[in-house]
Amino acid sequence: MDLSCAIRGVRYRFDSVKELLGRANPPKSGDDLAGVSARSAVERVAARAVLAGLTLAELRQHPVIPYEADELTRAVEDDLDEEAFRAVAHLTVGQFREWLLETTTTGPLLRAVGPGLTPEMAAAVCKLMSNLDLMTVGAKCEVVVRANSTLGLPGRLSSRVQPNHPTDDVEGILASMREGLAYGCGDAVIGVNPATDTPASTAAILTAIDEVLRRHQVPTQHCVLSHVTVQLKALELGCPMDLMFQSLGGSEAANRAFGVSVGLLDEAWATMKERGTSRGPNVMYFETGQGSALSSAAHHGADQLTLEARCYGLARRYRPFLVNTVVGFIGPEYLEDGAQITRAGLEDHFMGKLLGLPMGCDACFTYHAAMSQDELESLKVLLGAAGCAYLMSLPVGDDIMLNYQSTSYHDIPSVRRLLGKRPTPEFDAWCEARGITRGGEPGPRFGDAAVVA
Amino acid sequence: MSVTRDLVAALRARLGASDPAPPRVALPTVPAPPARVYAPRREPLRAGAAARHTTALLGIGHVGTRYATDVVLQFQAELAVAHEAVAAELPDGWAEEHGFLPLASRVASHREFLLRPDLGRRLAPASLQRLRDQAARDPDVQLVLADGLSATACMTSGPALYEALAAACAGRGLRVGTPVCARFARVWLEDEIGQEVGARVAIILLGERPGLGTGDGLSAYLVHRPQVGKTDGDRNMMSNLHARGTPPAEAALRLAALAAAMIEQGTSGVGLDLDRVDAPVERGYRAPQVRQRLVACGGAPAGGPR
Repeated sequence: MDLSCAIRGVRYRFDSVKELLGRANPPKSGDDLAGVSARSAVERVAARAVLAGLTLAELRQHPVIPYEADELTRAVEDDLDEEAFRAVAHLTVGQFREWLLETTTTGPLLRAVGPGLTPEMAAAVCKLMSNLDLMTVGAKCEVVVRANSTLGLPGRLSSRVQPNHPTDDVEGILASMREGLAYGCGDAVIGVNPATDTPASTAAILTAIDEVLRRHQVPTQHCVLSHVTVQLKALELGCPMDLMFQSLGGSEAANRAFGVSVGLLDEAWATMKERGTSRGPNVMYFETGQGSALSSAAHHGADQLTLEARCYGLARRYRPFLVNTVVGFIGPEYLEDGAQITRAGLEDHFMGKLLGLPMGCDACFTYHAAMSQDELESLKVLLGAAGCAYLMSLPVGDDIMLNYQSTSYHDIPSVRRLLGKRPTPEFDAWCEARGITRGGEPGPRFGDAAVVA
Repeated sequence: MSVTRDLVAALRARLGASDPAPPRVALPTVPAPPARVYAPRREPLRAGAAARHTTALLGIGHVGTRYATDVVLQFQAELAVAHEAVAAELPDGWAEEHGFLPLASRVASHREFLLRPDLGRRLAPASLQRLRDQAARDPDVQLVLADGLSATACMTSGPALYEALAAACAGRGLRVGTPVCARFARVWLEDEIGQEVGARVAIILLGERPGLGTGDGLSAYLVHRPQVGKTDGDRNMMSNLHARGTPPAEAALRLAALAAAMIEQGTSGVGLDLDRVDAPVERGYRAPQVRQRLVACGGAPAGGPR
């Protein structure tokens, strides 16, 4: 394989597809830290030119971690839809980009081809696309899923209520949740990151949330984002659980650092299908984020975008109800500033959707990243316009437990009104019935937490 | 006449005027909106009750779907506090003035500190020499105070926690090493420092990632037989060491107990049996600290509860 090209008489050579993928990536501090990024702006373009000439079939033959060395690569390869793959295998990455952007390439067509794509293919084409390219294709992808309510329909923008509390005070969690519901948030999930990762506290939080949701007949689903083994034990305690959560990494080693494996996730999924309390059929919830593999030295010399795509390759095995990238949470050593975080959010949404996932995004920053509040608010609108399935929502966007800035209870109705979007149909009807909205506009009980007292 | 011109002419005729804007409406009476937030007497009852359980900003109302001006200013003030804590640097001489041997990592600038965790984990050559020349050898516990992601926390909360922890260790009969304070330090810097002095346990106290309106929190990481190459699985940690989380006196007792257990069990991290640590793990209910009103113009007092 000749991986070289000349620009203005200077020849650039790349030793492997893995190296090429890294050099072709847009600037990310995490790729600099890993030593895999382009060493100059011209080299970056050279890498993209070489990448544009590789076929999807060649990419399938060169996963960034070999089949023999990584169970995640094996899961992706063994599950791949051969018929769908054959439909696009002959395209070069450059041609694939053009096919994706054609107006004749519709949502149903993308959904048919998705199961034949490997994560490396999604990552490769992503590197050839601008932000607006990513939004254009992302908005076309149709991924519709259902648990208690139906997520991902056209014209919908959903949100997770994230009522975290530094000591898991259940009254404090419920107070925050009530307020979120009163702003029309929470149609994707009521999802709590627990401060204490124990089966008892997971069960206690779920039971309390379940009681309020049932009493007020709120058509949504609940989840406590403790470790999957903790949630399995909580289920044994007999608590309600609409969705089961786990963080995913892009390699077997990264998942080992998270304390999970394909076998454990298979077991968790089987248990949820049997004992989960939502109607389904989609009952799993995953979170990802560029840079997590490098942070546990499990990146195998690959770039963070490709490793992120590999998380999605694993996630789709479990037909999840929710997947979101926690894009700005990891810190500036992986995504340095507003431009990098914005780009990464749009990339992750695009790649996840292309691979068939109901992608949401935690558009956020930590206080040591160089992103302004204005840049963050812009990203929320970009994601909404790109067809992002859901965003997070917190009081003033402030997570008082995890110490970072995300989307607020006020941002969700603001973005919906700007873009003409509504919550899930089930939740929309509930909001109208309770006076939270009237005809999609703020209603008489908008922002009044007593509506779910 | 072209087809396009005909179309444009017909469109203008339909609009009825050359000005495409709709006619102006009559000027309304614009009443001043009511004060919405950070005025406790005006808070809805529910939000008042919730405030006993959470510091989340609840019951703040809305203008359309957005925040009242008062909320925006409070938010911006809290954001500025967090950003200042991150941007703060330990001044030259601060360590010596507070009785610490000054050390520095291999990081040269604040931006490099944020982007290169690898450099923040190793000592600069001059600091390594200073440590070898001046620090006591073979202590049971080597304590390291450091800036981490909030030099503000290091300077405001650091000395008190350091003193309490040194006393708690001494109270257990543990020999504490020379006090050192490191600049541009990441957690793993404790490995090289502890290894150089031959400590049995190293504990680094460093500023943690600030939250909105805060920058005073410290985290502590402990490792048995510190040496370069130890990983996170080899460490035990406590976070949120501040007034809203675990206060210094309580944290010091727990940390000293952990250090003693590491020496007794000969391990740390995932290998440490936490059931054999003789200090209380659970703590009782603590009401959340009231969020402070940060902005006060004219007569209204600042610093009061919202």
